[in-house]
Amino acid sequence: MIEPIVGRYLTVEVAGRAQRIFFEEAGEGRPVLCLHTAGSDARQWRHLMNDAEVTAGNRLIAFDMPWHGRSLPPEGFQTEEYLLTTPTYIDTILAVVDGLGLDRPVLAGTSMGGRIALQLAALHPDRFAGFIAIEASDFQPAWYDIDWFVRPDADGGQMGAALVSTNISPHAPEVERWNTLWLFMQSGPGVVRGDLSFYSTDDSLIGRLARIDTATTPVHMLVGAYDMTCTVEDARRTAAAIPGATLTVMEELGHFPMSEHPKGFRPYFLDALARMP
Amino acid sequence: MSDLADRLAGMQAQLAARPHLLRLGSLFSDTVLLMVDGTEYYLVFDRGRLARIVEGPSRKTPYQFGIVTDGAALATFWTPLPPPGFHDLFALVKIGRAEIRGDMLRLVKNLRFIKEFLALGREEAA
Repeated sequence: MIEPIVGRYLTVEVAGRAQRIFFEEAGEGRPVLCLHTAGSDARQWRHLMNDAEVTAGNRLIAFDMPWHGRSLPPEGFQTEEYLLTTPTYIDTILAVVDGLGLDRPVLAGTSMGGRIALQLAALHPDRFAGFIAIEASDFQPAWYDIDWFVRPDADGGQMGAALVSTNISPHAPEVERWNTLWLFMQSGPGVVRGDLSFYSTDDSLIGRLARIDTATTPVHMLVGAYDMTCTVEDARRTAAAIPGATLTVMEELGHFPMSEHPKGFRPYFLDALARMP
Repeated sequence: MSDLADRLAGMQAQLAARPHLLRLGSLFSDTVLLMVDGTEYYLVFDRGRLARIVEGPSRKTPYQFGIVTDGAALATFWTPLPPPGFHDLFALVKIGRAEIRGDMLRLVKNLRFIKEFLALGREEAA
């Protein structure tokens, strides 16, 4: 069976550096740009991109952030400490939107992708039609030490996967739990640490939430009850700070819902899409 | 033998029957303290096998790291579909029903092995 997902590469300039970015897409109609979590890649969206009902009216596009999946790190990476920042993350997403010629796509992001989706809702609402923020919150300090993830005396892939497994629901089918963890096992050295540096130290979103205009660009949030990193309380606090934002709690899901439990997530994502212009 | 001691003995046998866990733990030879409602169990691992289970109390048994929890939390953790917070070791820590003592980093380096060992208690309950 050949799947409908098609992948290609796009080279864009971000902060003066060339970044060769892998993206894949499926479907036709309204563009929906999908962002992966920390330490993973666009494959997290594989099930929704293969879902004919979802892609009948939506063009789903997902890309691997630089340093992730099939997007190589930039030239000179071997002497560089990878630390993702809010400005670089925003510039990368906007460069992809421009590079692909997307006209005000819906932005759907999970975890750190959800966090940056809310930043874009506050800072660049004119570039998007609406925002689906999944397992997203204003800020929460780390319950882990990000330096655990890069050690010469430990297998960073196994360790990272074992740590994030805390956030996977026991309702998730075993095969998809392990597929989800495999993506973390494949993450390059220092990448999870660099992503989590952004996620666990930058609290600049807190003061920007109130400026989000949901009358122009709706914001719908989704949170899994088994998410121990972005908890239901974190998501509720965040949604309450955005006038007009809506939130749905997914009782049997965790932090990687589109990947860990695609059947369980599907109705929530369809509902979220229906709320978007 | 208490119910918990029986459970741990069953998990010891389950571990010995799982080649993939023995491979994962082949460099793991630590002593782990499991304290449940104040009762101490010293789990002595040797190259991935649980060589001995020594019940305390003891003031002189060295251990590398310890997991301190309560019986009700552990019983919920071992149900087939635990509610949020009871489904994972670090989730128990986050909701305040477990505490890690000792060398946390040693636990983290061997986290997959330890988590899969602890999950064997669910098999025992099945």
